Parts: sequence; structure tokens; C-alpha cells
Amino acid sequence: MDAMFLPEVEGNPQPGPTADLIRIAQSAGAEYPKIWHLFAYRPEATAHLGAFTHEIMRGDGPVSASLSPGLRELIAAFTSSANECPF
Amino acid sequence: MPHIRVSEKLPGIRSLFAFRPETATPMSELAEVLLHQPGTLSPGERELIATYVSSQNDCYYCQTAHGAIAAHHLGGNEELVLDVKRDFEHAAVSDKLKALLAIAGKVQRGGKNVQPEDVERARREGATDLEIHDTVLIAAAFCMFNRYVDGLATWTPTDLEGFRERAAKVARDGYLGVLGYIEETRAAGHAT
Repeated sequence: MDAMFLPEVEGNPQPGPTADLIRIAQSAGAEYPKIWHLFAYRPEATAHLGAFTHEIMRGDGPVSASLSPGLRELIAAFTSSANECPF
Repeated sequence: MPHIRVSEKLPGIRSLFAFRPETATPMSELAEVLLHQPGTLSPGERELIATYVSSQNDCYYCQTAHGAIAAHHLGGNEELVLDVKRDFEHAAVSDKLKALLAIAGKVQRGGKNVQPEDVERARREGATDLEIHDTVLIAAAFCMFNRYVDGLATWTPTDLEGFRERAAKVARDGYLGVLGYIEETRAAGHAT
């Protein structure tokens, strides 16, 4: 995998679940998405981004009856593809 | 007129926050971490990045609201905010902030536009990895906020004095105050 622009971000996972995931993947020699390094670097922001993503993608809000999680993921996948972001 | 039925009393993103408090909470908390909590970039500098990205996205509400907050942090210097929006490379801001604004502008046009040279320039001007990281996240988050606000055609007031008053409050208290207000209106049954 290519190195990230910011080595300090890649080299400084803060303690937490994402740092554990990175360690497990690295010790198994497995490939993993590098967005994990962004999540592990700034856990205060990640917590809110995660809460937001969970609510909008999986939340039981008013939209859950009409927009299934599968449909919501399709919207996300379509937008990511339009943005040329393969991950 | 907004594309969906949101409160007519609230402008811009605040009408959307009231409409959907579940997503309002983490979005406001993210703004609080990125723009208001203590950091090595001053709140004024971070608000300038948010304002610049919003102006590049042509989002009137966000660039006016955050431009007013930036100006408040900068001792009321609205002219500097306009200079940054027009041509930050020649504005009276630090070389480090210019390098960060250049990165933010590239993120606004699409993340893949950011090149190693852009990151090197920022480092050369003294930016830390955390500052570069937060610049990219502020730019990316404001692309989301801008598209959220304009994608639903929310109402935008044009009275600048109202923006200034609100800016003073946000500059002082941060971004979580809106959540209490939304909870109150919801409890009172005003929000739909």
C-alpha cells in the first residue's frame, strides 16, 4: 500500500477500537482501508462522524420505514462512484 | 422556498437541524471539535477555512454565517474575510494559512486534487500534520454542510446585522447551543 501524505497521521494511532483493528490487520499481514488511520488519529472527531454515519445509514429515524439500509447504501455507493472514490 | 417542509422561522442549516435532530447532534458536535475547541490553529483561522470553502461552493448561508464568525474572532475585520474569499494568496494572513487555504481549495474541487507539493508547501510554512489533517476535514465537512443547505434550498436571511449578532454568540458559546434550542422547540411541538 502507498504511504499516506501525513506520516504522523499514519504513525500515531490513538488508543481505541480502530487502533486495535489496525494492529490486528497489520500483524496478520492483511490489507486494510487506510481511512482507519484517519479514524484512529482524531478519535474526538471520529466519534461524531461515526454517530452521524450510523444515524443516517442505519438509524431507526422516520426514514427507516421507507428507505431500507440497502437503499441508503446504494445512494452512498452511487455518490462515491460519481466522486471516483473506489473505496 | 425550501424543497421540503421545514420550519419557516429558522434559517439555513438550523431549519434542517430542527427537522432531523438525530443527525443534527453529531454534525454539530463535529463542528464544535473542528472549529471551536482549542487547537493550534486559532478559531478565526479555522473559520476562515470554512468560509473560504463555503464561498467556493457558492453557499451563501454558510459563507455569510461563518464569515461573520471569522470576522468576530478577528476583531470585527470583515474586510479581511472578503479578501480571503476573493484572493487569499494576497490577503493579510500568514503564509501557513495561505498554504492551508490552498489545500482546502483543492479538497473543495475534489480530494484527489491535493498533490504532495501542496502538503510540502504547508509543512515548509510550519503546518503540523494535525493542522493539515484538520484543514482537509474542515474542507470536506463544509462541502457536506454546503451541499446539505443548498441541496434542500433552505431559507437564507439577507440581513447582515442578524448574522453578526448570531456570530458573536457562536464565537463565544460554540456549536452545541443549537441542540438545546432544537430540543426545546421539539418538546413544545413546534418542529415538524
